[in-house]
Amino acid sequence: MYEKEKDLIDAYIRGSVSRRGMIKGLGALGLSTATASVLLNASATRALAADFDWKAHAGKTVKLLLNKHPYTDAMLANIDNFKALTGMDVQYDVFPEDVYFDKVTAALSSGSSEYDAFMTGAYMTWTYGPAGWTEDLSQWVNDPSKTNPMYAWDDFLPGVIKSCAWNGVPGGALGSADAKQWCIPLAYEQNNLTYNKRVFDANGIAVPTNLDELLEAAAKAKAAMNGGYGIGVRGSRSWATIHPGFLSGYANFDQKDLNISADGKLSAAMNTDVSKEFHRKWVQMIQESGAPDWSTHTWYQVGTDVGAGKSAMMFDADILGYFMNGPGNAEAGNLAFSAFKANPAAPAPTPNIWIWSMAMSTFSKDKDATWYFLQWVTGPEHDLFGAQQMDLVNPARASVWADGAFRDKLSKSYSGYVEMHDASAPGASIKFTPQPLFFDLTTEWAATLQKMVAKEVPVDEGLDQLAESVNSQLKEAGLG
Amino acid sequence: MDTVSPIERILRGIALTLICLFFMFPIVWIFLMSFQTNETILRVPPSVVFSPTLENYTALITGRLETQAGTLDINFMGNLWNSLFLSTTSVAVGLLLGVPAAYAFARLKFRGSEDIAFTLLSFRFAPPLLVLLPLTIYFQQLGLANTYGGLIWVYQLIVLPLILWIVRGYFEDIPADIEYAYRIAGHDFWSTFRRIALPLAGPGIAAAGLLSFIFAWNNFVFALVLASADKQPVTVGALAFVTASGIQYGQVAAGIVLSIAPTFALALYAQRYLVEGLSLGAVKG
Repeated sequence: MYEKEKDLIDAYIRGSVSRRGMIKGLGALGLSTATASVLLNASATRALAADFDWKAHAGKTVKLLLNKHPYTDAMLANIDNFKALTGMDVQYDVFPEDVYFDKVTAALSSGSSEYDAFMTGAYMTWTYGPAGWTEDLSQWVNDPSKTNPMYAWDDFLPGVIKSCAWNGVPGGALGSADAKQWCIPLAYEQNNLTYNKRVFDANGIAVPTNLDELLEAAAKAKAAMNGGYGIGVRGSRSWATIHPGFLSGYANFDQKDLNISADGKLSAAMNTDVSKEFHRKWVQMIQESGAPDWSTHTWYQVGTDVGAGKSAMMFDADILGYFMNGPGNAEAGNLAFSAFKANPAAPAPTPNIWIWSMAMSTFSKDKDATWYFLQWVTGPEHDLFGAQQMDLVNPARASVWADGAFRDKLSKSYSGYVEMHDASAPGASIKFTPQPLFFDLTTEWAATLQKMVAKEVPVDEGLDQLAESVNSQLKEAGLG
Repeated sequence: MDTVSPIERILRGIALTLICLFFMFPIVWIFLMSFQTNETILRVPPSVVFSPTLENYTALITGRLETQAGTLDINFMGNLWNSLFLSTTSVAVGLLLGVPAAYAFARLKFRGSEDIAFTLLSFRFAPPLLVLLPLTIYFQQLGLANTYGGLIWVYQLIVLPLILWIVRGYFEDIPADIEYAYRIAGHDFWSTFRRIALPLAGPGIAAAGLLSFIFAWNNFVFALVLASADKQPVTVGALAFVTASGIQYGQVAAGIVLSIAPTFALALYAQRYLVEGLSLGAVKG
């Protein structure tokens, strides 16, 4: 079955038939696009097997702990190809995102050997890695006997892969020479502008290119929204309020969360004059044009409101805009994307990023077999399959971003997405200082922001108080 | 003779209507949401006029959920079954162990009886998150992790103290003389318990069983931490509709309707026992 089709696809993989020629040929053979894509990936999998003993762990089983996410759907849609390639079996548990990290923390802190590998965010590895719960994956990446020669480590976007590596020293630079690779990215999200093109065009609102223009555009949009509001940004009392648009804009002014002294001591860096000015404008923007219930807004409310036409734009994850532009949303097809540079004097955008990645549990009973799964799922073939056929957006590999079919797919339905990504990817990385108090200090930052927006404390005074509290916590923990 | 004036009757009617509206509104709204698509639910401003759809229920029952990001496989009916199985079995085990224990604590005064009863009650005081980590480690060593048996055992932390203390109060309310009379007639302790005490305590036992069923049904954290995805109850499963690509409000609402249906029906049916059983058990004569 499908022999002719397989031959045609193999010829495409070898490079003797063009992509257009292959698609035309498959169409002539009466194959649907979906079947063609599965066959294409199966063929890529056969090519992958050429120079590496993928069967070394045949008969073994790995168990994964996964978060319910489009990235997981892409993984599961392609998992039969991994099983065929390696002769291994894969079991998995998928948990909803709301409770996912509770499950991960419970499994790891109890030393459970049930799961061999799991999905994680890079920030979480700042806790898991130093606690000894996850493995440094460099030891496998750098071992040619265990890693497929086509794995193409250098193909990962530098800012993304480095953000997953830390030496465990509080304040140590991400991706430093002595850093341990706690996780490897599946895909990542940058924080940029997603705006409602319909509303912008109808009301003559120009796409803002810096913070001052953002305030103006948000105010104009609010006036035009008829009961809605101008701009969506997160506002709940959580670290997750700081990391998207807020930190991306903040970092664009060369501002940091913490200073690191010559002797490695950390201190608060958020009460500088530039930071105070940035905070003042951010607070003003929320007060004038943000959601009335901003202080409760998380990923879900910010995204849902822009998708439902309740807000005119959002400064948040680009993939959130990607999802909200899809079917089932009132504004599907109306959303457009723009790279955002808050500081007019900055050379390029500097988005902070969230990375969904894979990590290996220290308590895994067969780490070499687990590595086989990890190198496959983070490898170029799966990344390309996920990006082209599923919603593995944004892929973390440069080769996938160079792929014409993927770029065409995005450009067709997501206005400005490719251009946005290309403009901001070079400056995209984690902008936080890695240190063990990350979640506590960042949550306090969000709480201070809430007080400023509620006019409970003036911006200058609030930031001075925050810096004082951060410094005292760092000292108490022996970090300051 | 009717002593209530018409004005008072009208005011009372208005007050009752307002109270009913206040308490029933969330449930009615959720019920209406369950027949709408995400798009109509998120309309600005919201409206009660819509063309109803059964697609949310279809998605839950067939296990195929259409979202913005494509089709998702969901296991809501599996979650519902897990909840039903775990709650029913836990309550059955709890009744089997708790009712005789409650009788013993009520009737037999022995050394340390109060201490033991209080220790059992203290299970309710322990914050679940505090005991879960050591429990996870023990469960792994004992091979109980990720088993229904292990979960039913842990659920006893919820149901057993509740059954024990409610039923104990109820047994204490039954005059001991009735049992003594039966014993004098030549019957042994066991048949006195079975034929006299148990039937008299029936409403109390039903109330305790119902209450502990509701508590077990609403439990969230035990199964989350101690079991795999295939053994999760409906409280965890319902969160699957909150996805990175958006909240599926319609499916959340349909999930709520389906998941409260068993407890709602049970509570309506046993409402009389519940009120009677609780009030009688609580007041000592």
